Amino acid sequence: MLRISNVTKSFSGIFEPVLKGVNLSLAEGEFCTVIGANGSGKTTMLRIVSGEHQADSGEVIRNGDVAQVVQDVNKGTIPSMTMLENIALSGVKNPRFSFYRRHKNDVVEKVRSLNIGLEKFIDQPLSVLSGGQRQIIATLMAINSGSRILLLDEHTSALDPKMQLLLMEYTANSVRELGITTIMITHNMEDAVKYGDRLIMMNKGRIVVDMSGREKKQLTIQSLLEMFHKFEDQSLLRDGGENVG
Amino acid sequence: MSVDLVMNGLQQGLILAIITYGIMIPFRFLDFTDLTADGAYPLGGAVCAIFMSSGIHPALAIPCCMICSGCMGVCVALIHLKLRINSMLAGIILSTMAYSVNLRLMGRPNIALFECGGLFGVNILGNMTIICLLLASCVVPFAIFLRTDFGLRFRAVGLNQNLAKQRGISIDKYTIAGLFVACSLFGLAGSLIVQLQSYMDVGIGVGILIHGLASLMIGEAIIGNATLNRQLVAPLLGALVYQQVQGAALSLGLAPSDLKFFTGAIVLLVIAMKRTEAKMFG
Repeated sequence: MLRISNVTKSFSGIFEPVLKGVNLSLAEGEFCTVIGANGSGKTTMLRIVSGEHQADSGEVIRNGDVAQVVQDVNKGTIPSMTMLENIALSGVKNPRFSFYRRHKNDVVEKVRSLNIGLEKFIDQPLSVLSGGQRQIIATLMAINSGSRILLLDEHTSALDPKMQLLLMEYTANSVRELGITTIMITHNMEDAVKYGDRLIMMNKGRIVVDMSGREKKQLTIQSLLEMFHKFEDQSLLRDGGENVG
Repeated sequence: MSVDLVMNGLQQGLILAIITYGIMIPFRFLDFTDLTADGAYPLGGAVCAIFMSSGIHPALAIPCCMICSGCMGVCVALIHLKLRINSMLAGIILSTMAYSVNLRLMGRPNIALFECGGLFGVNILGNMTIICLLLASCVVPFAIFLRTDFGLRFRAVGLNQNLAKQRGISIDKYTIAGLFVACSLFGLAGSLIVQLQSYMDVGIGVGILIHGLASLMIGEAIIGNATLNRQLVAPLLGALVYQQVQGAALSLGLAPSDLKFFTGAIVLLVIAMKRTEAKMFG
């Protein structure tokens, strides 16, 4: 469970608050996709949930540890460590004074389940992999970290379409199977429609659309795009009016 | 170069290797710029000199020296972590304070221990065996530790602190433990050098950091630091080579007073070579 109650956030030097009283409550295992224009407050909301930023007011209640995958792959992995070391580091919740190589079979199985042949690099430093492959490993690490909350910030943006599809399918299936509460920011409207139990749209620091259940299932890319442009146009008009006023 | 000079160089190189491991641990595993060597090394020597002059067995003095110097490392870590003082500055402050502590402990600037005996004799090979055993008793458990779950976490602290925090790893605990281990190695080296020379001078630590750093640079320039094994061999190899280079330079006529300039020049040369190599080969 994750609850964000009336969260506001401002940054010095920026007149308008980045978040203006955001409320969001996710049930255990719920998968929520977040869309919105650049600067709408999506990443700030995620950083407040992860604890990286402190809210000016409001409250965030988390039912467990938070794992995160961000666009910058170097933040989510250690390139100089081997793939085994990276995944073992994330997967071990109760460390012991015994060799981490005992996890090798488990780790190989997890990587093999991706079906992209990365298991042959298990004892190689992650730096030998491409950025996209490293992002896949970063996602696998976050999902298998035992955290009950997963935050994904455009985690497929650096990948080619084939890899994007593969990673999204892996992410959606894994979080459903493990019952991880997930918030995923994306600019890909197709992913926003296709994946997740719930969709929210942010605009100017507020949640302006929140849909789930049948409403979300019936959503099409076309209708989502129309909604997106409608809110963008409204905010442009409002800004223009405010400026004129 | 005579055989004696080479053997003496190897003997000194083994002790320098202990210091170099102490320098490598915070630098390479914790991303912590630690300058405590100049204070923790003579502290180990001072404690050893007092113990030996009081008639305590030199073998018993060694763990006490390691604990005293290790505690100094803990103080540096706490000053950095709790008072938010830059790690380099914390090391410099504590090293400066240690100078007075050493003088106070010794009661005078130097102590001759020729009558007190020690672990070492006139047989260089025997001495080297003792140093090798002590070195191995520290490095082998550390190498095993690095391959455990806790060791993996220890390495992660220096390589990606944000990720380590996300995974619930306590940066403070690992930094404190790492500094304790590193500084206890300085204490061990200090006690060994005092027993080897049968003499302790309050100024033995001046410039020791740069000798260790030069050794680490040379070791990493020779075999690199891409893998854990290479990282663990580099300090030993570097210290042995550095000590031989220094011996060769002295036998070729370099004045002992120019030694520190020579060491600094080696460090700069190795850094420049690494940068040039990185530029040329990406």
